[in-house]
Amino acid sequence: MPDFNPTAYAIPLFVVAVLAEMIWARLRAPEAYEPKDTLVSLAFGLGSTIAGALLGGFALAVFIAAYDYRIVDFGPEWWTVWWAWPVCFVLDDLKYYWVHRAGHRIRWMWASHVNHHSSQHYNLSTALRQTWTGPLTFGFLFAVPLVLLGFHPAMIAICGGFNLIYQFWIHTEAIHRMPRWFEAVMNTPSHHRVHHATNPRYLDRNYAGVFIVWDKLFGTFSPEVDDEKIRYGIVKQIGSFNLLWAVFHEWIGMLTDIWRAPWQHKLAYLLREPGWSHDGSRETSGMIRARWEARTGGANAPHATSVADRNPIAGSAEAA
Amino acid sequence: MEVPPLLVQTAGSLVAILALAGLARWLKLGAAPRLASADDVRRAAGEVEDGFVPVATTCDAGGAGALARDAGGRIMLIRRHGNRFAGRVLTAQARALRPDPAGPFNVIVDCAEPRFGRTFLALDDAEAWADAINRVSGPGNA
Repeated sequence: MPDFNPTAYAIPLFVVAVLAEMIWARLRAPEAYEPKDTLVSLAFGLGSTIAGALLGGFALAVFIAAYDYRIVDFGPEWWTVWWAWPVCFVLDDLKYYWVHRAGHRIRWMWASHVNHHSSQHYNLSTALRQTWTGPLTFGFLFAVPLVLLGFHPAMIAICGGFNLIYQFWIHTEAIHRMPRWFEAVMNTPSHHRVHHATNPRYLDRNYAGVFIVWDKLFGTFSPEVDDEKIRYGIVKQIGSFNLLWAVFHEWIGMLTDIWRAPWQHKLAYLLREPGWSHDGSRETSGMIRARWEARTGGANAPHATSVADRNPIAGSAEAA
Repeated sequence: MEVPPLLVQTAGSLVAILALAGLARWLKLGAAPRLASADDVRRAAGEVEDGFVPVATTCDAGGAGALARDAGGRIMLIRRHGNRFAGRVLTAQARALRPDPAGPFNVIVDCAEPRFGRTFLALDDAEAWADAINRVSGPGNA
């Protein structure tokens, strides 16, 4: 059985790429980085690795137990079935789409995933701003169908590792658009900038990991609008570089809400979308979008020029 | 003695993290954007809360923060966070304090969120804004 963690091998590449982007930023867009923000993002990445090693055992045990009930058996040397790898990769990416969508639409999941969105910057260090508390959610259950189909947990983990590595490079403002055919199929910096944006038009859009086709298929795709400056982060910016607060703030907020809520609403604070409140005192992303659409007709956009437009690296082909 | 691989990886990553963060500082990345005009405040307020339209604004003398009031009487605190801005629409729990007038700041805004912290401002019209903040109340601001 292959004992291979692609993410561990990619770490040196991550470091070199961040270094290269910093040099680009120095020359073209110094505001793209902020030292404290970078330190927090990278500390997130390190803590995530440690947390995964310490807390990932339960999910692994579930997968190994589920594997005994697999529908298809690829045999004792399952890793030699070459075609199973690309099939697993695509299905794992489909799984990623749904677990990611749940990460934005269910507060329990958001409490963990919000970590990745908590920076007001969008650069390669932001890609490493990974959660510490993923194992405390039920996100791993989304992979159980793949295990039951017959994909070995190790194969899924390796495919997931490559998925994560792919997603690293799209966290940048240095690339405007990739070629049209690429933008049509793959997740790209342009598509993912939309995902990290707090502009109302972009809220809860572009959940894709590797293939943007999932968003187009399931109705959550939004293209990047060139003349509207993107604001990154979360709707209510943290406003603090305290690492532990950044890690746990939404967990604390959610548990506080559950504690204070009337009994009949406690579960909703766990399972409803972020921003939901039983007394309507807060706004969900849907409410913010609706208010924006009512105010602007959904089309008005202030004129601005994105960093990527000012500093193009890739070609300027039209988005698909 | 064999060192656990996770420990080696963690130590190596920690060194790389500190090196990259130090490099970002050495390269002078980031900047200190200023809120120097009503337009600056209007733009920042719209980023803090989409659709927030100030009818009155005031900027900190150093440009690190601002206050804005909309037509509904809501007051927004905006302050520099790194090289971006973050803000809060002030609630009834918010308080404006008037420190020693000899100091560099003449208003301290406590938005009642401990982790957001207090914001120190030097305003031209400090007394009026402090009074307005301390008057904020009602369900629309809670």
